Amino acid sequence: MRIERRLRQPWWLTVVVPVVSIAVALVLSGVVLFLTGHPPLKSFRRIIDAAFIANGALTETIISATPLIFTGLAAAVAFRMNLFNIGGEGQLYSGAITGAAVGLLMAGSPSPLIFVGMIVAGAAGGALLASIPALLRAFFSTNEIITSLMLNYVVALVLEYLIFDSHSYLRDTSGFEANVFPQGKTLPDEATWSSWTIHGLVLPLGFLVALAVAVFVWVLYSRTRFGFEVQVIGDSTRAGRYAGMRTRRKIVAVMCLSGAIAGIGGASQMGDFRHQLDPRGLRDASYGYTGIVVAALARYNPFAVVLVALLIGGLTNAGFTLQGADFPAGLVGVMQGLILFCALGGELFVRYRVRFAW
Amino acid sequence: MVANDHVDFDAAEGEVHALLGENGAGKTTLSKMLTGLYRPDEGEIVLFGRTVEFNSPRDALDAGIAMVHQHFRLVSPFTVAENVVLGDERDVGRSFLLRPGAIEGRVGELSRRYGLAVDPRARIWQLSVGEQQRVEILKALYQDARILILDEPTAVLTPQEAEALFETIRAMAADGRTVIFISHKLHEVKAVADRVTVLRRGKSIATVAAADATPRSLAALMVGRELEAERRPAERGPVGEPVLKLDGVWADGDRGVPAVKDVALTICAGEIVGVAGVAGNGQRELAETIVGMRPLTDGAVEVCGRRLTGGDPREAISAGVAYVPEDRLGTGVAPSLSVASNVVLKSYRGSPVSSGPFLRFRRIRDLARGVIDRYDVRTSGPNAPAWQLSGGNLQKVVLAREFSGEPAVLVVASPTRGLDVAGIETVHSYLREAASAGVGVLLISEDLDEILVLADRVAVMYEGAVVGERVVGVATVEELGLMMAGAGSED
Amino acid sequence: MNNSLVVVVLASGVLYGTPLLYAALGEVLAERSGVLNLGVEGMMLMGAVMGFWTVERMAGPTPLVLAAAIGVAALAGAVMAAIHAFLVITLRANQIVSGLALTIFAGAAGLSSYLGNDLNLAGKPAKHQFQEVFPTSWQDLPVIGPIVFGQSALVYASWVCVALVALYLTRTRLGLNLRAVGESPAAADAMGVNVSRYRYAHTLVGGAFAGVGGAAFSLSITPQWVDGLTQGAGWIAIALVIFAFWRPTLCLLGAYFFGAFTALPFALQGHGVTVAPELFQTLPYVATIVALVLVSSRAARLRFGAPAALGLPYVREER
Repeated sequence: MRIERRLRQPWWLTVVVPVVSIAVALVLSGVVLFLTGHPPLKSFRRIIDAAFIANGALTETIISATPLIFTGLAAAVAFRMNLFNIGGEGQLYSGAITGAAVGLLMAGSPSPLIFVGMIVAGAAGGALLASIPALLRAFFSTNEIITSLMLNYVVALVLEYLIFDSHSYLRDTSGFEANVFPQGKTLPDEATWSSWTIHGLVLPLGFLVALAVAVFVWVLYSRTRFGFEVQVIGDSTRAGRYAGMRTRRKIVAVMCLSGAIAGIGGASQMGDFRHQLDPRGLRDASYGYTGIVVAALARYNPFAVVLVALLIGGLTNAGFTLQGADFPAGLVGVMQGLILFCALGGELFVRYRVRFAW
Repeated sequence: MVANDHVDFDAAEGEVHALLGENGAGKTTLSKMLTGLYRPDEGEIVLFGRTVEFNSPRDALDAGIAMVHQHFRLVSPFTVAENVVLGDERDVGRSFLLRPGAIEGRVGELSRRYGLAVDPRARIWQLSVGEQQRVEILKALYQDARILILDEPTAVLTPQEAEALFETIRAMAADGRTVIFISHKLHEVKAVADRVTVLRRGKSIATVAAADATPRSLAALMVGRELEAERRPAERGPVGEPVLKLDGVWADGDRGVPAVKDVALTICAGEIVGVAGVAGNGQRELAETIVGMRPLTDGAVEVCGRRLTGGDPREAISAGVAYVPEDRLGTGVAPSLSVASNVVLKSYRGSPVSSGPFLRFRRIRDLARGVIDRYDVRTSGPNAPAWQLSGGNLQKVVLAREFSGEPAVLVVASPTRGLDVAGIETVHSYLREAASAGVGVLLISEDLDEILVLADRVAVMYEGAVVGERVVGVATVEELGLMMAGAGSED
Repeated sequence: MNNSLVVVVLASGVLYGTPLLYAALGEVLAERSGVLNLGVEGMMLMGAVMGFWTVERMAGPTPLVLAAAIGVAALAGAVMAAIHAFLVITLRANQIVSGLALTIFAGAAGLSSYLGNDLNLAGKPAKHQFQEVFPTSWQDLPVIGPIVFGQSALVYASWVCVALVALYLTRTRLGLNLRAVGESPAAADAMGVNVSRYRYAHTLVGGAFAGVGGAAFSLSITPQWVDGLTQGAGWIAIALVIFAFWRPTLCLLGAYFFGAFTALPFALQGHGVTVAPELFQTLPYVATIVALVLVSSRAARLRFGAPAALGLPYVREER
């Protein structure tokens, strides 16, 4: 087998290959189902039904997808410059903490003000956390993969401490159960983010914010000087330095932007959906890590991130809905993993031409 | 593209056989086939009377063919001994375990026998380039290679180190080994080879006995016509004010030790000043210090009278310093980005390329098309990725971009490395054009001949310091060679 | 004295550190060949579930069943690693994304959960478990009793593995070739070392070790099967490799250091100490970051740093 780099990439390849990858992944999933005694086609139909078609399914899917859009964009923004920010998980928690804090502190203020406050706080929380691996990478060349990963654990533990072990402002200390079943303080009603209902489909405000962020990222990266510098530095840091670009500043800026986006996702979790800090729930959801997968599948294109997030969100949603004795638990992870494997493998065919020697 | 076209080649035991040809003539391809890195599409290789086929470097090594590449294949954190014994699969059963004592002993034995002085326990990153080359040769000898291929071995050596290498080659040939010596330097080939095969454009042109050939006859075979000595214009335009002044400049290298020591140099508008020296004596670091990619630890760099703080490429760019780096694809150009993007790599910050924070794509495309047309860059279009361009065309893009900034100073490092004759001509003419336009050109090159042809003055660097400065035409090659080896007079 | 906090923590440190140690040893081998495998958590979970399944279904004397279970766990981990290896070595995919994909595929909401639930493995203790090997009299010796003699065969085997891996890396030809592949695949290739083969082999072995590490949870520590029972141990192992500067002997110390901190909350509870454990538990992670920063200077990187080719696919220069 000989592998040669393609000289030109026909545009249709970048669309056909991901689609074929997904198709292959579905076939493989079907095989797994079949081999373990579950009916493949029926299972797929149930998944699609639960994800998109059934009453209220699309709304639930959007709810699952919204945080993934944020973490997916966060990952895409960083990965485009070869900064492997694995800390989206922790940065989302950070934003959730700061967002919840602001939401609680601003009780009594008008809703739009709280909304803005929570977004700013969420962004700041995420950016602040991301600045640590950013500065270490920029000034000490420390590998950001591990530093950002480690901080995920640190923040997760801090969050658990705040809710389960301390008597912090964020913890619900009223009521009889407070000491036995610790949980986060519920945000006031005015801190609940609005939503719009169109034909029975509920669009939370966070979803619209996520779309806006996607557009912003697209414009920033493809139309501005900032985006040009990201392209150059992502391709060759030396060339960037040579051209007079401030590479260190760029590294910090991009990582903090990435963290900020994930942080807004955390604020959205508070304002749109959970309305209280829920360490276990956030940890089980793994939004940060799944976001990286979304970004990779979307090949780091902001608009594709939205689409892929909806797809993955739909799968996740279906996984929750169908949980039960007759539906295999873990199928969602298997399918997501297979889709990702096939997409990764398919990448090869986009960049290289494969020749087989007979 | 055919790299080797029906090449017939033979070499005998104990012979030193030179492969002569310009860049792109097919010498490297031929050697890669002999060492198992490429498969021949047609023809056969006959070794010691038997036809052989190599599917991997392992096969060639097992058959007794070893190559010393231009770019060393050494593992930096390992010791010399570890590098030498790497991959050795002979007597695996018996010596599953490493026996460092025995290995070091054998390495010491070989280095004494063939005049390759090096400490088996030293780590590669501690060694000089010349010493690293010795390790490469020791690797081949340890494997008891019967045929050694040396690819442009003297490119990284001083004239004196090259002499020592020739001694080693003679010792290996006296042992019955065959040495295939790839070069484009005529006087070396004459000095060490028994026979010479000349390649041109992938074809084998002639095989002659070295004793019968002269540099002129060999050059004619290489190029296909009688070589005219490149003429220097008798007078260049009047020389202007100093545009670049280096005063007591010190800078540290990558390992934290000073690499540039107390360098003083002045370049005036319209001058071409060459910096000669064997690679690794601080030239790269000097260039990087001038253009701001490396901080100064002491001294001053002045451009048109303005003193630079140093360590900031943007400062140098705005002061009017242009830089054509040695590492084209990795530093001078962003390889995956389009030609158009690379054309505006330094000019994207202001108008007309951008307005406010936004880029103006039509402008960028137009600018790129302009460069492609004016400089005859062979490419499929402004959107083609830069890595697709050949070395010569890439260099055109880089030079075009650097000129378009209307610089006061142009620093070029090894500008014609890897280019063919046409490419070299083009680059030389651009540099002369720049000088005529009043730019001060600093030409850093390992090719002394190139400097002698282009420059008005030449400074020689050795171990980070300028050990001598001469007017070209007054200095002799011997004198310069001695300075390059550190044996010259201090000024 | 053997019930003092310190001794309890140290003894539990060894216990909890053992799966980390196995996984880290495996990851050291893979990373020394230049392959970064972030799918350790997934491989451990597969080892845990398949090892448990073997114990449930296989009849026979306990030592035999446990040995078979370890073998199956190792195989499961290796099969998972093979997917990653194929993607990143042959198909040259991005190693980070592939590793994450493996974690999602095989991890807590993926294949290991699928198999565990389908095979009805939840909710019951393991039929055969790894028990302490030495007689109780030895275990009662002061201090070293519980720490050294109170452990199971898995722990002692891990010590042997550490020694073997350390010797392999520093004293054998294969180990030398491996290190070259991770530092400079071009140099290794030119010397006839088959880069792909070494990377495949060591990535698969890495997966096997991770599988065994996972089985340590389901057959020794917990010892049940629960969805996601490793609780992030795989990620800790990845950090551990860096903390140990890619050296097997330091992996031993680091694993027990991290293990002790994992055990801390339970130990503290048992002693009625009500200091919040979470903040202590952040210490290993912070320590890893500090270690990493210290290694980042150029000079340190040469002596202690990552294999230079880690994470990069190797392509022999083709025209």
